[in-house]
Amino acid sequence: MATALETVKDYTGSEYKYGFTTPVEEERFPPGLDEDVVRRLSAIKREPAWLTEWRVAALRRWQTMTLPDWQKPTFPPIDFQAISYYAAPKQKERPKSLDEIDPEIRRTYDKLGIPIREQEILAGVAVDYVFDSVSVATTFKKKLEELGVVFCSISEAVQEHPELVRKYLGSVVPPGDNFFAALNSAVFSDGSFVYVPKGVRCPMELSTYFRINAAGTGQFERTLIIADEGSYVSYLEGCTAPMRDENQLHAAVVELVALDDAEIKYSTVQNWYPGDKDGKGGIYNFVTKRGACRGRRSKISWTQVETGSAITWKYPSCILQGDDSVGEFYSVAVTNNHQQADTGTKMIHIGKRTRSRIVSKGISAGRSDNTYRGLVRILKSAEGARNHTQCDSMLIGEHCGAHTVPYIEVHNRTARCEHEATTSKISEDQLFYCRQRGISEEDAVALIVNGFCREVMNELPMEFAVEARKLLGISLEGSVG
Amino acid sequence: MLTIENLEVSVEGKPILKGLSLTVEAGRVHAIMGPNGSGKSTLAHVLAGREGYEVTGGSVRFGEEDLLAMEPEERAQAGLFLAMQYPVEIPGVANMYFLRQAINAIRKARGQDEIPAAEFMRKVREQAKLLGIGEELLKRDLNAGFSGGEKKRNEILQMAMLEPRLCILDETDSGLDIDALRTVADGVNRLRSPERAFLVITHYQRLLDYIVPDVVHVMADGRIRRSGGPELARELEERGYEGLLGTRLAA
Amino acid sequence: MLAIKRTRRLDPDPAFAATFRALAPRLPGSADAALARVRAEGFERFAALGIPTRRDEAWKFTDVARIANRPMRPAAPVELPLERVLPYLLGGPRARRLVFVDGRLQPQWSHTGGLPEGVIVESLARAAETRPVALAEALAGLDDGRSFTALNAAFADSGAWIELPAGVVLDAPLQLLFVATGGEPPVMSHPRCILRLGDGASLSLLETHVGLGEGAALGNAVLQLALGPGARLEHDRLELLGPASALLAKLDGSLAAGARYRQTTVVLGGALVRNEHEVRIDGPGVECLLSGVAVPSRGEEADTFVRIHHRAGGSHSDQFFKSVVEAGGHNAFAGKIIVHKGAQKTNAYQKNDNLLLSDDSEVDTKPELEIYADDVKCSHGATCGELDAAALFYLRARGIGAETARALLIHAFAAEVIGRLGDPTARALAEQRLLARLGGGLDPALAASVIGEAA
Repeated sequence: MATALETVKDYTGSEYKYGFTTPVEEERFPPGLDEDVVRRLSAIKREPAWLTEWRVAALRRWQTMTLPDWQKPTFPPIDFQAISYYAAPKQKERPKSLDEIDPEIRRTYDKLGIPIREQEILAGVAVDYVFDSVSVATTFKKKLEELGVVFCSISEAVQEHPELVRKYLGSVVPPGDNFFAALNSAVFSDGSFVYVPKGVRCPMELSTYFRINAAGTGQFERTLIIADEGSYVSYLEGCTAPMRDENQLHAAVVELVALDDAEIKYSTVQNWYPGDKDGKGGIYNFVTKRGACRGRRSKISWTQVETGSAITWKYPSCILQGDDSVGEFYSVAVTNNHQQADTGTKMIHIGKRTRSRIVSKGISAGRSDNTYRGLVRILKSAEGARNHTQCDSMLIGEHCGAHTVPYIEVHNRTARCEHEATTSKISEDQLFYCRQRGISEEDAVALIVNGFCREVMNELPMEFAVEARKLLGISLEGSVG
Repeated sequence: MLTIENLEVSVEGKPILKGLSLTVEAGRVHAIMGPNGSGKSTLAHVLAGREGYEVTGGSVRFGEEDLLAMEPEERAQAGLFLAMQYPVEIPGVANMYFLRQAINAIRKARGQDEIPAAEFMRKVREQAKLLGIGEELLKRDLNAGFSGGEKKRNEILQMAMLEPRLCILDETDSGLDIDALRTVADGVNRLRSPERAFLVITHYQRLLDYIVPDVVHVMADGRIRRSGGPELARELEERGYEGLLGTRLAA
Repeated sequence: MLAIKRTRRLDPDPAFAATFRALAPRLPGSADAALARVRAEGFERFAALGIPTRRDEAWKFTDVARIANRPMRPAAPVELPLERVLPYLLGGPRARRLVFVDGRLQPQWSHTGGLPEGVIVESLARAAETRPVALAEALAGLDDGRSFTALNAAFADSGAWIELPAGVVLDAPLQLLFVATGGEPPVMSHPRCILRLGDGASLSLLETHVGLGEGAALGNAVLQLALGPGARLEHDRLELLGPASALLAKLDGSLAAGARYRQTTVVLGGALVRNEHEVRIDGPGVECLLSGVAVPSRGEEADTFVRIHHRAGGSHSDQFFKSVVEAGGHNAFAGKIIVHKGAQKTNAYQKNDNLLLSDDSEVDTKPELEIYADDVKCSHGATCGELDAAALFYLRARGIGAETARALLIHAFAAEVIGRLGDPTARALAEQRLLARLGGGLDPALAASVIGEAA
């Protein structure tokens, strides 16, 4: 396994490695959003009437809503009519086999280091490839089908498993939940769908790789994962985008449902284009992620490594409804230059003896702002609930900010909540010590930061941990000295 | 190997080293003794390239190179090792992992391949055993929660693993009980070789009973005031700094 | 940025305007044009700001409108027998004090004699006559965007002007006692205190808010503190309100280099007691220690809101707040440390521990950090839980009854803050009230002896 230092070395000098664009022929809508756009989008996807009407209802709801203003990040007003709500590589039919994929798209994923192939480095991982608004390929489908595991794009799921989609879509994040969830419900174009049947332990990591390519578009994917009784699945998502001077909007919704004794592990390595060193361009990453632990003894675990995006604004949450269910949130958020991150989680304890654990590590450098915002709510019914929260911030340089905004609301006397937070810097002593042992300053920073984040990194599946460590080093390049 | 000429160093405008000259040859152990505030630790830090020290005069050559023009990691890669008086703690970074990073960084700078994992493990275990460092300590985070003695032994372990040409020991004896002192001294003595030089900085003669120096220097007020053989350390023990140097010294 | 949503504020009850019109000519200093103008502007500002609702982030946890947005009347003079007030006269025989009942000075119980030269201690009404311009400036000088501060500027009826020149150390404590009698419609009073300590001056201040009887009352207090370089202020606050009474207390403080400010607040009783602190640290070497404990039960709410601004580096702040919540009580804490850019070498701590003893009670806590400097040490912690079962068992195994054991442990939890009260008489009163609240037949001596063993 490559070490953090070696891999950082490999990337030294590259600013944002994934910033290229792919010349593919695209089909896209002109900018603008109204009911007609939603209906056309639904028609292209040959959706059933109930889903079309569901989208239209969400749009109407969205039209009455205003952008929230409680967050720390600031940004100029977004013109939602200037965005194109559908962009897809031109293709007659979705390719039937991996061999039929557009070579340009194939080359793109090769360059990103995740070739569309069922072999070699990704042997243990099934991947769904989402390119702009649509899923272009899914590997290992056959193998998974044998076990009854459904892993496909959500568009396919609408066609092939309409009963599951209809039952669960919007059941965790209702269309009117918030401004961006409503927008997503109206215009979501694709995303991944996973269903793991009763008692099945999914033998491989399921992964979606999101790529924004087209300019002037937004990406609105929707992911729905259902783990039936006694099942287990580990799901990973990664994301990149070209370097552009404009800000692009990414407003995804992720819904997870875990039934009795089921476990979902959801890992994200988010590396959308963060903008240049002066804060120009970059993705606005405004995402709603929520998991429902509906079943008894169910467990949902979120792990995220957030290094990209001009603005990250998301709170992967758990609704702990089933008795003895468990929610976890492990997060590393790194901001550099002019990036802004406002991220954290909500743990809503409803069931008896529900437990949650939050570990958040924020690293700010440059002129960035990094906020942890979290809610732990213990309802009256949550007899014996437990929460432990640890939030640590690290500041690198004197022009950045680190903020911690935890909310703890307790309504049950047998519950126990503990919250701890610290703030630190990389000390001169630590840097000198590493350098005295022959390690360069930049490597020493990566080393110390990786140490600071170790608790979270340990939660990532191996395949992602390596990439995530690299990213930490790269994101902080030039932050010291 | 190391040639210091008329070195003058200030800290926040205050002169600390005031024209210090010293030559250390390969294979020799030089001890530097001196009262508190004489500039011993400043010398160690300046040689290792720590920030916050302003060199206002003089020169330092390490082999053929101008030491003062090098970055701290370049000095380490060139074979200079400073065993620190207060080794820092780095939480989350495992002791062994750190050691391997350091070895590979130094090997890479010297155009060598990375150390094979098996060889690394074998060497660490061997050295750790000699220094009485248990497996558990190797797995823990770098110096985090180590006792004073454990930190010092860990410094000697790193010294053994990184195979430097010049070892500077900055008050390595401070805070050690007699058993730990002996272990550390044994560790250092094992590393003595014709190619390697040592600069042992200490306040007390005690350490020099175990690491017997070839040359002893007595520092005061930023300069070397007396040099001699091991007998100088014993003389110092009997007469004290004031008696030996014949002057009153600031505490 | 979007405009503030109107739903975050309610229009004030029309009775406020009517009362202000009627009362304005009779308020202290009404003859002075500048003061009258500041009061009128204060009222306009209040009307424009409106009453906050829970959609206002600063009032997220408590519904103040329920208590404060209704017709209220200014108090009429009340005759109280001394024995009603006597238990609250604190600070020992040498203490100086100003006593107010329903917003009016009670000269028979107040005395400020024997002050060193240059020291000013006078009631607000007196200050309105002797220094109307300075008072007008002070009232106008605090515009914190908070509607109740503006309301206080309009109605300020009681309170004090306190000034210690450089180097003066006051040898005995100074007590400010505010007594509310209550009634229906509720009686409102608006104490405003202005306290200035010159270089190296030192004062022990006892601030006591007391509610007598079951009647409703609203105290809307504002305290403006300015500590000069090296000044020291020991500030003990007891808030002992009746079950239908509310207190909204705002403290605005500036601390110059080397100043030391210690404040301990004990809240025992009150339908809603909200303590707001906004403290600015403007130089190095400052020590600012804020502690508090609240014991809300039976529908009572206690709400503590803290903002500490480290605007200069090299200073230390510490927030230490606790609550014991039972039988339908509600405690909220929202504390924030803001380390401004360049305020390096700041040490700032924040701790909020809560005991939640029944399921119909609620604890909300929001300990916040906002940090813009890298070389700082900041940490915070918050906990919420019930009594430690092992400790309870230990006490019972030593033969102590369940009720007493429980009371002992709660007492031990709260005593950590009560023990920080600097004045022994204040400590004794707080202790006595706490034990009365806890029941379990505890007597203070027993409490002290057994706690050592259990801890």
